[in-house]
Amino acid sequence: MSLGLFVQLLVNALTIGSIYILMVLGLDIILRGTKILNFAHGQLYMIGAYVMFLFFQMLHVNYIVSLLLAGIALAIVGALSYLGIFAILSKRFTVSTSFSYRLLLSAMASVGLMMILQQGTLLAFGTQERGIQSPFPQILDIFDVRISLLRVVIIILSVLVCLGLYLLMYKTSFGRLLRAVSYDPEAVTLQGVNAFWILVLCFALGSALAGLAGAIIAPLFSVTNQMGQNVIFLSFLVLLLGGIGSYRGTIIGGLLVGLLLSFGFQFLGGVAELFVFMLVIIILIIRPGGLLGEATE
Amino acid sequence: MAKLPNKNAIGSRKKLIAIVLTAVVLLVLPLVIDSDYIKHLLIMSSLGAILAMTFSLLYSAGLITLGAAAFYAIGAYASTLLVMNAGFSFWLALPLVVLIAAVLALGFGSVFVRNAGVAFVIISLIFVQVVIIAAGQLEFLGGWGGIIGISRPDAIGPVQFTSKTAFYYLMLAVLLLVVLAFNALYSSRMGRVWRAIKLSPHLAGTLGINPYKYRLLAFVVGSTVAALAGCFYAHYSQIITPGAFGGWLSIYVQLYAVVGGLEYYILGPIIGAVLMTFVPEYLRIVKEIEPIITGALLLIIILFFPGGILGTIKNSKVDPFWNLKGKGRSDKTGFKETAEVGRG
Repeated sequence: MSLGLFVQLLVNALTIGSIYILMVLGLDIILRGTKILNFAHGQLYMIGAYVMFLFFQMLHVNYIVSLLLAGIALAIVGALSYLGIFAILSKRFTVSTSFSYRLLLSAMASVGLMMILQQGTLLAFGTQERGIQSPFPQILDIFDVRISLLRVVIIILSVLVCLGLYLLMYKTSFGRLLRAVSYDPEAVTLQGVNAFWILVLCFALGSALAGLAGAIIAPLFSVTNQMGQNVIFLSFLVLLLGGIGSYRGTIIGGLLVGLLLSFGFQFLGGVAELFVFMLVIIILIIRPGGLLGEATE
Repeated sequence: MAKLPNKNAIGSRKKLIAIVLTAVVLLVLPLVIDSDYIKHLLIMSSLGAILAMTFSLLYSAGLITLGAAAFYAIGAYASTLLVMNAGFSFWLALPLVVLIAAVLALGFGSVFVRNAGVAFVIISLIFVQVVIIAAGQLEFLGGWGGIIGISRPDAIGPVQFTSKTAFYYLMLAVLLLVVLAFNALYSSRMGRVWRAIKLSPHLAGTLGINPYKYRLLAFVVGSTVAALAGCFYAHYSQIITPGAFGGWLSIYVQLYAVVGGLEYYILGPIIGAVLMTFVPEYLRIVKEIEPIITGALLLIIILFFPGGILGTIKNSKVDPFWNLKGKGRSDKTGFKETAEVGRG
């Protein structure tokens, strides 16, 4: 394997991995805060890509501004879905509601949301693939190693988003509240905080991350109405691999899956995904809670 | 404890009438209906009902699976390979498939079930995806194009299974067997242990019950029955492709259970499966917005009728003779979750 190929595969791995990391961070924030296993996450990702297409390709808005608009739009979609569906649902849950029942009904509600968003997007945009012109078509040429600048930008953007998320979660009072609500909503309510709106913002934040992931990746792949379904399964896998409730685990898991997929597809072809799954099984045998998570009953 | 004898007798007479009526309707139905399409939908509903019952079985032990389609696919592929390549008779392949599925379920289940809760939901969903990819990528499983020209089940004496009517009766018999088996399970100690684990694994643990062991048993039983349904599916549709088991199937299966009534482990899935097979088919008139209507319907049921159809009927006190065995006793909301110790 030449150095050029190796570096290209590595960059591909980091690109795929960083998108999965953004997706799974969103999934994880929603799961921890609102206790919803969000099946509509892939569709939120897809809508993010369509918003990017709308602003950047159709209306020629600035690249960075389009990204921010995609994030904001998806935060609004997320907040509205939470208020319209999950808030009504969670009103029925009491402290004595069993976790499996709660999980099942929220997951089923998110499946309903997924079907509506999926078909709604299909009706709005049709089935054809939409290409977005690359904002960075240049090819970097460093010591005969050719890398697309767009992929580098994607990686840098993802790192920036992760960094921003870190600052938000650990350096602001909102982040502290969000973490407290994820840990114990009743205790937070007893401290005089309105946990409800924190949960709305929590769902909005997770949705915004999915939207940003879609918007960031949109210029690299074409935008189709299938892209959400393709990405959601591996996102769940990364969530499981890294361990639910561990941001570091998610990042390690995302990079690992990115590397395995990128190098696996090059040398093994389509069975690479099977190897990723085998790896997850082996890791779950050794560590039932994922790489850095705790096993739960 | 002793109930008034006459009240009990009325109850059981009503129940008997209901059962006999249903049986007569089900037996006469294919003779009255001429359309092959409706018979096809009925056969697919019975397959869906069996799958949804396996979902409910796992749910009764507190496990939420999105992987019903995985063992359905494994059953379909195993039986196809045994019949088409190894030359077994269908009726000989059937017990072999059950054996294969049980061994596989035990192997995979022993890893999966260690994480009850969110991780189990996710891993069951991913497992379906993996089975599909394996079927698509591996050459001897027919690749993405699938396997075509699978034979119908061999005739038993003079009874041929070539017509849809004959297959309908076959599926009815299979469904009845599964219902009886599951009913027996739910009324046995095993069923009570499962419900105890669902209510609180910790509490069950303090009573000397090993939740892992019993959950694994539930997983094996559920997966084996799903594989059995897969056998009949393969030999009914005569063509299997990896795509047929992917995407929406697993999600639809749990939809059946939720729509019918989650706490009615046997009747709920059956009613949900029949309804959710027929209603979307007739919504095809408005094909474009059909998923939106189905999705909205699902949301409405979850948000406003949490007991499902049966739970809602039960609460409105229309008639109590829906009370088939195997359901939890329901409170005002149609659900039984009251004493929860810790978040299982």
